[in-house]
Amino acid sequence: MDKLITGIKNFDYILGGGIPVYSLNIVSGAPGSGKTIFVQNIIFNSARSGLKSLYLTTISESQFKMVRHLQGFEFFSDDLLGDKVIYGDLGFVLRKQGTDKALEYLTEMIKKHLPNIVVIDSFKAIRDLFPDEKTFKAFVFDLAAVLSIWEITVFLVGEYEEQELTLLSEFAIADGIFHLYGQEEKRFQKRFIRIRKMRGTSFEQGEHLFQISPVGIEVYPRMRPEGKELRYEVKQGRKGFGIPDLDEMLSDGLSEGTITLISGGTGAGKTIFALKFLLEGAEKGEKGIFLSFEEPAAQILNTARHLGWEIDRHLAEGRLDIKFISPVELDVDKHAFEILDMIREKKVERFVIDSISSFENSVSDLQKYKDYLWALGQQLRRRQINTIFTAVNDDPFSSLIVSKTQISLIIDNIIILRYVEDNSHIKKVLGIMKTRGSYHNKDLREYEITPNGISILGKLDRADMLR
Amino acid sequence: MSEFKKERIEHYETLLKEIWTASAKYLGMVSVNLLIERVVWEVSLEYKEIELLQYDQNGISCARIAAGLEENPDLPVQDMFKKFITRYVAILAKLLGHERAEEIKNKLKEEVAGVSFSCREE
Repeated sequence: MDKLITGIKNFDYILGGGIPVYSLNIVSGAPGSGKTIFVQNIIFNSARSGLKSLYLTTISESQFKMVRHLQGFEFFSDDLLGDKVIYGDLGFVLRKQGTDKALEYLTEMIKKHLPNIVVIDSFKAIRDLFPDEKTFKAFVFDLAAVLSIWEITVFLVGEYEEQELTLLSEFAIADGIFHLYGQEEKRFQKRFIRIRKMRGTSFEQGEHLFQISPVGIEVYPRMRPEGKELRYEVKQGRKGFGIPDLDEMLSDGLSEGTITLISGGTGAGKTIFALKFLLEGAEKGEKGIFLSFEEPAAQILNTARHLGWEIDRHLAEGRLDIKFISPVELDVDKHAFEILDMIREKKVERFVIDSISSFENSVSDLQKYKDYLWALGQQLRRRQINTIFTAVNDDPFSSLIVSKTQISLIIDNIIILRYVEDNSHIKKVLGIMKTRGSYHNKDLREYEITPNGISILGKLDRADMLR
Repeated sequence: MSEFKKERIEHYETLLKEIWTASAKYLGMVSVNLLIERVVWEVSLEYKEIELLQYDQNGISCARIAAGLEENPDLPVQDMFKKFITRYVAILAKLLGHERAEEIKNKLKEEVAGVSFSCREE
């Protein structure tokens, strides 16, 4: 089936390639939810592909105001107005000549301009102009028939509430229903789009985040765990930290393409271990990204320099990249998708998120956090990216607790960092809890971080140190 | 009107009735009539006489075209009907997909042989 490519970032992906041509679609949502911008973005993108659109306003926003508001968007172009994007006033005809003349006017406009797309905005607003529901129903049916015969893809825009989507007559004839809505989360006012119905194509279900930026509409598809079995080629190689004793404990490093959790209390050195893993990769020519939600890039650089690591060289040569996103600004819906984009674009082989605890703190819905992490883990594993997640353990002297949430299912390897008390001294201890599919040393080893780097010391030999 | 032209009109009327019935099966009568209305409008830009084509819920008739031919015997009915049918089937192919349109096209045999299923923008 031929599709209308909307050109909206990631939206065609959600739709399995685009909106089926000649379909009748309803774009619903409360005032201010972004319906008009969404449709305008589609018609201007389509205009650039040579398609013609007829945009009929009714009795909501005036054409003048609409065009004025659109001028701030990159998709808007004066040059397309009048030629590929034609505005008309259906509301005037309905008010002055009556509802009987609406289809006649529409047919005349179609004959005159031969559009590929017709938009009626707002469609809901014209309901009140019809004497009764029966007459409106007949109009909706005739409208759908006329527009499909003229090979037109239709968007009817309306301020419909979600509960109306199953009740009103126009939704019965709709091939597609796009519902836009906003939601307040902890720190963000978020916008979501949900495809309620789309005949003739499969689509990604559920709510997808979108934002309105100067570019126009940008959609961030919902990260969701895949139901089907994950299949990927298992690589036999090992990826080390470049810390000889630790790599030896891991049987020459971590298995290639696996996900490792480094869990520990504050100051235990999670960031440093993870950074060392990337630097070791960079030494071998492997590209790495360090995504920090904890420390700004400058602070990470200072730490690495203090430890005598050649981080500047690797940054300059493009083998290492450090991205800092403030946890205050962290929006997992958006960033989880951007993370994967970044990994794909830069052909990254080693990747660190420091820390996933910041993810956890930024979402109001814990299940959503688990879904994201699971989906992200699946994607990273499929792409065989050697990944380290760090996680903060709130009790640095606790027994070997990994994380508050049960994320160990998606983790292949777990390294625990913790503090122990010994003779009025605080010591740091490292242990490997799990390495999927390979042998690892079960010892608890002391370690220290000095200006010379990370040193793994002897085995912890006194049980009373673990309290 | 010559006997030959009369026969041609009768022949095209039979074809149009076949098309009407075949496409009503897929589109429904309302849409078929809307499609005819569209094609009449398009062809009328070249042959005004096509507006004499009668169609409603009961079917399609060329009686008024045949009557009109008495006044305008030089009307190239063959070209007018060929354009009508070609355009009709082309739009149908876009709406229903080529497989369904091919079935209808096959019913029209040699009359529409070589029809190019192009849409208006191509």
